[in-house]
Amino acid sequence: MPPALLDPPLSETSLVPYLISGTISQEPVPESRLFEDLRGLRWRINLGVLPPCSSLTSIDDLRRATANSRRRYASLRGQLLVDPHITKDGSSSPPNLVMDNPLSQNPNSTWGRFFQNAELERMVDQDLSRLYPEHGFYFQTKGCQGILRRILLLWCLKHPECGYRQGMHELLAPLFYVLQDDVEHHSEVRKLHEDHFTDRFDGLFCQENDISYSFDFIKSPDLLNDEIDSHGEGVKIKSLDELDPKIQTIVLLSDAYGAEGELGIVLSEKFIEHDAYCMFEALMNGARGSVAMADFFSYSPVAGSHTGLPPVIEASAALYHLLSHVDSSLYSHLVELGVEPQYFALRWLRVLFGREFSLDNLLIIWDEIFLSDNSEMEKHVEDNADTGFRLFHSSRGRFISAIAVAMLLHIRSSLLATENPTTCLQRLLSFPEDTDIKKLIEKAKSLQTLALSSEISSSTPMLIEYNKGKSVVARSISIPCESGSPKTPNSLLPDNSYWEEKWRVVHSAEELKQDGVEKQVPSQKKRWTEKVKLSLKRTESEPSSSTIKSGKKESKASVNRSLLEDLSKKLGSEGDTEKLGCHEVGQQDDGSDDSNNYDADDRCLSKNISSENSFNSASPPNEIKDLENENISQKSSVGSNLSVDEINEISHSSPIDSPLPISDHPENNLSPAPGRNNDSTGNLATISRDIKLNKFQWLWKFGRNKAELLSEKRGRASEPVKPTNNFNNNQSNTAPSSTAGEHCSSVNFKGDSADQNVMGTLRNIGQSMLEHIQVIESAFQHERGQGASLDNNMSKNVLVGKGQVTAMSALTELRKISNLLSEM
Amino acid sequence: MVLVLALGDMHIPHRAPDIPAKFKSMLVPGKIQHIICTGNLCIKEVHDYLKTLCPDLHITRGEYDEDSRYPETKTLTIGQFKLGLCHGHQVIPWGDLDSLAMLQRQLDVDILVTGHTHQFTAYKHEGGVVINPGSATGAYSSITYDVNPSFVLMDIDALRVVVYVYELIDGEVKVDKIDFKKTSTSVPAL
Repeated sequence: MPPALLDPPLSETSLVPYLISGTISQEPVPESRLFEDLRGLRWRINLGVLPPCSSLTSIDDLRRATANSRRRYASLRGQLLVDPHITKDGSSSPPNLVMDNPLSQNPNSTWGRFFQNAELERMVDQDLSRLYPEHGFYFQTKGCQGILRRILLLWCLKHPECGYRQGMHELLAPLFYVLQDDVEHHSEVRKLHEDHFTDRFDGLFCQENDISYSFDFIKSPDLLNDEIDSHGEGVKIKSLDELDPKIQTIVLLSDAYGAEGELGIVLSEKFIEHDAYCMFEALMNGARGSVAMADFFSYSPVAGSHTGLPPVIEASAALYHLLSHVDSSLYSHLVELGVEPQYFALRWLRVLFGREFSLDNLLIIWDEIFLSDNSEMEKHVEDNADTGFRLFHSSRGRFISAIAVAMLLHIRSSLLATENPTTCLQRLLSFPEDTDIKKLIEKAKSLQTLALSSEISSSTPMLIEYNKGKSVVARSISIPCESGSPKTPNSLLPDNSYWEEKWRVVHSAEELKQDGVEKQVPSQKKRWTEKVKLSLKRTESEPSSSTIKSGKKESKASVNRSLLEDLSKKLGSEGDTEKLGCHEVGQQDDGSDDSNNYDADDRCLSKNISSENSFNSASPPNEIKDLENENISQKSSVGSNLSVDEINEISHSSPIDSPLPISDHPENNLSPAPGRNNDSTGNLATISRDIKLNKFQWLWKFGRNKAELLSEKRGRASEPVKPTNNFNNNQSNTAPSSTAGEHCSSVNFKGDSADQNVMGTLRNIGQSMLEHIQVIESAFQHERGQGASLDNNMSKNVLVGKGQVTAMSALTELRKISNLLSEM
Repeated sequence: MVLVLALGDMHIPHRAPDIPAKFKSMLVPGKIQHIICTGNLCIKEVHDYLKTLCPDLHITRGEYDEDSRYPETKTLTIGQFKLGLCHGHQVIPWGDLDSLAMLQRQLDVDILVTGHTHQFTAYKHEGGVVINPGSATGAYSSITYDVNPSFVLMDIDALRVVVYVYELIDGEVKVDKIDFKKTSTSVPAL
């Protein structure tokens, strides 16, 4: 008999929740505020498992999507999890036992698959047993482990090309955790508002009674309360609409009679496994977005990758790229140490920072990561479509890299303090526990926009492009030609650079009068780096190895450069130029005595040294020139131990004055006779290479020691030394700027006994001398490089000749300098 | 899901050189959890080979075994089943079901595995299962004509045991399957 509606108001009120169509009957809530407490649900929406919740989608849609995803998982589970005991219905009646026995070698048999699954399970178990031991009471329970194992197993079976990799379990665990969290939250809410969640007719037993249907209302406790309160000041909420909207949504989401019934209960403990699987799958394949975690686990380059690198390597490079834009000193420090990004970024990226933060902090970070949209950006600029890091293509990817960079910046000071890569990596891999997550996230957000702009402005990512960072810093002229093998005719370049340099020298001399000295140093240094680069490019025969070397070189160059800069700023130019002059002079004498004993191993090594050379203020041509001057007194006045040692050392081993491309004699051949070529240019090449090598090594050592020397001499007022040196240096400084140099030198000379001017000119002159030397060396390098690489004697001679020309012109400049010196 | 391999009567090297190649290719380590061997291996090398398949090895002494330290009978429990092992030459008449049943009652096991006759049999008898895996090499037997190489693999799963019989007939491996269920835990009435 139908239950008599004895209490219509009550039944109506209890039926009301179920009659509502399921839409939230109020104005649309902004998406970020929706489901604030329900992290699992939020993540499901953000990851793409459930449709995004706008005002158009209703609770019903959510429920349907949930149900569909769960069905998918259930069918997958039934399909892939093999129980060999259960014969499938509908299979051929006598199962082919030869195939289907446990010892069958056939991999397709049920038993074969069973054993394969068992193998996979074993791998998964290895990891799972070590999952989150600090939360072991939750994660190490058999039930939880079983669920996680099943999920991972099924995912790996579904994606056999990926297989199982260590770290996937760490991605899955927080997803599972938040779902469980949601369910707990839901049950809490349920306790508070019990009557809205349950259909009070469920679970009530109807008493059999002959006469009338005595539906014993007394038994139901709700009714008691309702009766009492109904005519009291009923504060009790009766209708669903009056509930807090959050509670309301929870009720609707978990309504057992709503759309799709029980399968549609969005927050359901029964289907945690299904939901976790869907979330995991969405996370791994990126939901058609740009960042797919599964890519980070693959060893081979993803199709469509521009660099041909495994994605995680590429992403690590992207990280470094962003860091170079943000904090170049930290970047260069890391690069110098040789800390490649993937050493630490592999773990960071593969587990999305799961191992760096505690679980609670991690959840906050993942909140933010998932909030960022994962869709691939449409590129506005066509030609940028093929460039750039894949990681930067979506805002989620950018945010991930921004977080990584923010983390690096957070431990910046401790990283900069490390001296070797091991300690640096140690610090990177043990991220401090007590970081302020909010600050980190804010910083990351600011970096995220930077990532967007830098991505667009950057050029193609290359393999070992640590140079790139430096090129950005050093305002390089042309980046693309860095990696390409240079085929430009070498004859043109030296001239261009030489005249450019001349022009710059002139201009800088003029500038010197107006501005401080400090400005000179960076610009000139930049020129040097450019020249270095150009020269390096010219002589590259193996682009990859040489880029590595050039990276090294430039790193050393930068060290020297930074040292010099610091020194120049700190010490004051006086000490600097004085020392420059002293050293130059000192070297001149040494060069003459040298014998050619060195073994040049390879060109690269010499190239290495050559770049540093160009950087140093030493000038072999100077030696040649000023030998005539015989400033032995100056040499002695250079009283530093180091230089004396240098001199001694050098006199044993180092080369001669062989920037001259012509000298075929190991002994000193001071006269730059143009016509004297070797019979065998190969011979020339080797000799010159040897010579150059020696000289470069010497100069390199010298440069280093000079830096130390300068710092040593910082405090000393080497007054007695100064006057003589100043005198000479004045002259030497005035010489190089031949066209307008004399003018400015004279200007400098006139009137101003002010040390600063003198210092300025001294420095200027010293630096221009360096440039000359560098040009000579580069020219020398070219011809030497050509000598080694080219077979054609004719062309060799021609190019050698041209190199000679440029060298000659530089030498003449230096002669002028020396003449001036001798005059004064 | 425990896989137990039952075999015996190889008589290596006296009557046969080795286990057939097709059997050997199927017996890979890692799949099988236990091996019970009725006896008559006869030499230590066979023992070592079986040890490589599975570390849990149980052997009883056959009359030609060169290692005299094997026991005459053995019992072990796997899952819900109690297994008994004996070579069988002690039970006279050889291969007689009732006599073997007597041994089974004596050992108080659900499954009794014996050999010596070099012939595969599997009986369900009085609340127990008596299995003879035959000779793994097909060695000559004075009481059996036409010996085919055979062995038995038992898949013990809770209260159910599935017996797979592998026989090498005319150079081909033939497989057969027999199901046994244990109805209750206390009384082993199969």
